[in-house]
Amino acid sequence: MNWRPRRSLALLMLALGAAAAGWVRGEVYQEPDAFVAEVFGTRPEAKVLWLTKDIQAQAAAILGHPPAQLRQRYWSDAHRSVWILEEIGKEEFITAGFVVADGRIEHVRVLVYRESRGGEIRYPAFLKQFRNSKLAPDNTLDRSIDGIAGATLSVGAMERMARLALFFDRMSRQ
Amino acid sequence: MKKSSLGLALAVAFAAAPAFGQATVDQKLQILQQEIDDLKAQARRSAAPAQQASPYSLDYSSMLDRSSGLADGGTHVVGYGEVGYSKFRRSGDATADLQRFVFGFNHRFDERLTLHSEVELEHAIVSKDDEGEAEIEQAWLNYKMSDAVNLKGGLFLIPLGILNETHEPPTYYGVMRNQVETRIIPTTWRELGAGVHGIVSEGIRYDVGITMSFDSGKLDERTTGIRSAHQEGQQAKARDLAVYGALNYRRPGLLVGGGVFTGNTGQNGASNSALQGVSARLTLWDVHAQYRVGGLDLQGLYAAGTLGDADKVTAAIFAAAPTPADAFAAPKTLKGGYFQAAYHVYKRGNFDLAPFVRYERIDIKQQEDPPNGQLQDANNIERIKTIGVNFWVHPQVVLKADVQRYATDKFQDRFNLGLGFMF
Repeated sequence: MNWRPRRSLALLMLALGAAAAGWVRGEVYQEPDAFVAEVFGTRPEAKVLWLTKDIQAQAAAILGHPPAQLRQRYWSDAHRSVWILEEIGKEEFITAGFVVADGRIEHVRVLVYRESRGGEIRYPAFLKQFRNSKLAPDNTLDRSIDGIAGATLSVGAMERMARLALFFDRMSRQ
Repeated sequence: MKKSSLGLALAVAFAAAPAFGQATVDQKLQILQQEIDDLKAQARRSAAPAQQASPYSLDYSSMLDRSSGLADGGTHVVGYGEVGYSKFRRSGDATADLQRFVFGFNHRFDERLTLHSEVELEHAIVSKDDEGEAEIEQAWLNYKMSDAVNLKGGLFLIPLGILNETHEPPTYYGVMRNQVETRIIPTTWRELGAGVHGIVSEGIRYDVGITMSFDSGKLDERTTGIRSAHQEGQQAKARDLAVYGALNYRRPGLLVGGGVFTGNTGQNGASNSALQGVSARLTLWDVHAQYRVGGLDLQGLYAAGTLGDADKVTAAIFAAAPTPADAFAAPKTLKGGYFQAAYHVYKRGNFDLAPFVRYERIDIKQQEDPPNGQLQDANNIERIKTIGVNFWVHPQVVLKADVQRYATDKFQDRFNLGLGFMF
């Protein structure tokens, strides 16, 4: 193909036109505040799970690295709890909200996704796999989660966060 | 809040605890936490700009006190590498090599604009007396307008095949990259250009753009198809450009997709004057699929391509060669495919063991020139069987072992051991 400035300019204009048409706020799909309010109808008072040394050790085993926090905020009523967690996919943090009801994942949503690849994990086809999952005795999920090609690390991060949410829920009710 | 008032609050909280019971203490602890969070927020606001450079400092305890928006300034170091050992069956020779070590810096300028880069060092040592190479594998800017529309520009990977964009050692089976995505699709294939990409619907990702094309005047390898003619951003000849497009559908466990790249490669004889005025259009395309269910992991790919004016390219190679023995017939058509099956037989914690088999076919037909002695190279028609095992000791660290049998070039029959990692 020979260099044709007019054709290239037309292609560029077409691309920019498509870009303008698709302009929406990217990456932040829902503010954590809004997620909590959506689950409970209103935003209840936040509670705090204090990470004792024993909880820290088990959280580290789930994450594959020590948890960076000593206190984890959450919101709950008699049956449900909401956990906003962050974990690195490949190089940036994924922020996800987990609703745990009676020891099982009721709902998962990716709230903020920052990686350049792997954004497919935010769609229901992937997230619905977590529904009704619970912790096995060894703190793994009671089911396998099918991955997304090219998003292995993001999938792993979501799985670790799901396990952590279930574990934290259990600890918060002891 | 000043230190004195925080101390007072702490004193009041704990002094009063016995009188109010557990619930009251909890409430006071929450108040204290809020005060601490307020202090943290104040500290962040008053910090010098240099201290604000890490927008994602882990602060789970005060998640909702900070914006979930994407601040600017984060830089991340990424990388991968692999070590291989090969014992060749026919010759008895053995080699060990640090095949590649790649590191990269990814920088976020702001909520939408990011830089992605990778620098690759091959074969451990780079000097004029060694075979090592230092190369920029990627260096491109991405401007995210939405999930559906990203603009990119710079040196980026061409989205053909599976391996070209996802080539970190823990993500594929076998010590050696498959030959179809080496000799037909020249992984790791990158070009200077600009493109638009994004996810348009649940799981459907597109990528289209315009890039530098190949330069067929630079062809200097007889058994790697068009590979030696890609320009990789090194003072690329830009008389002829190329366009590409790719479409992939992903859902849990499934990937189906394909891509096409096409452009003239003559570059008006910039590298070989015999190609002046020759179009030499190259078109490469592929279709691929991956299906994972339970422990089973199936993958297949078919790639093909044509090089126009192959007779003129063959003549040009002959004209430029120091001796007839250095010349070779240019590739005219390229075809190849593979099928691969793996099964995860053991998975516990980070440990994951998966034996696999792979069968590859490569058919590169050359434009012969019998009068000048330029004939088809037998090694361009190849069948490769690989059987081996990947053992992940961590999702990002893998040990590999396999045996490979070549139907044509039996000197390539070998046993391989490998170690790969990414971070």
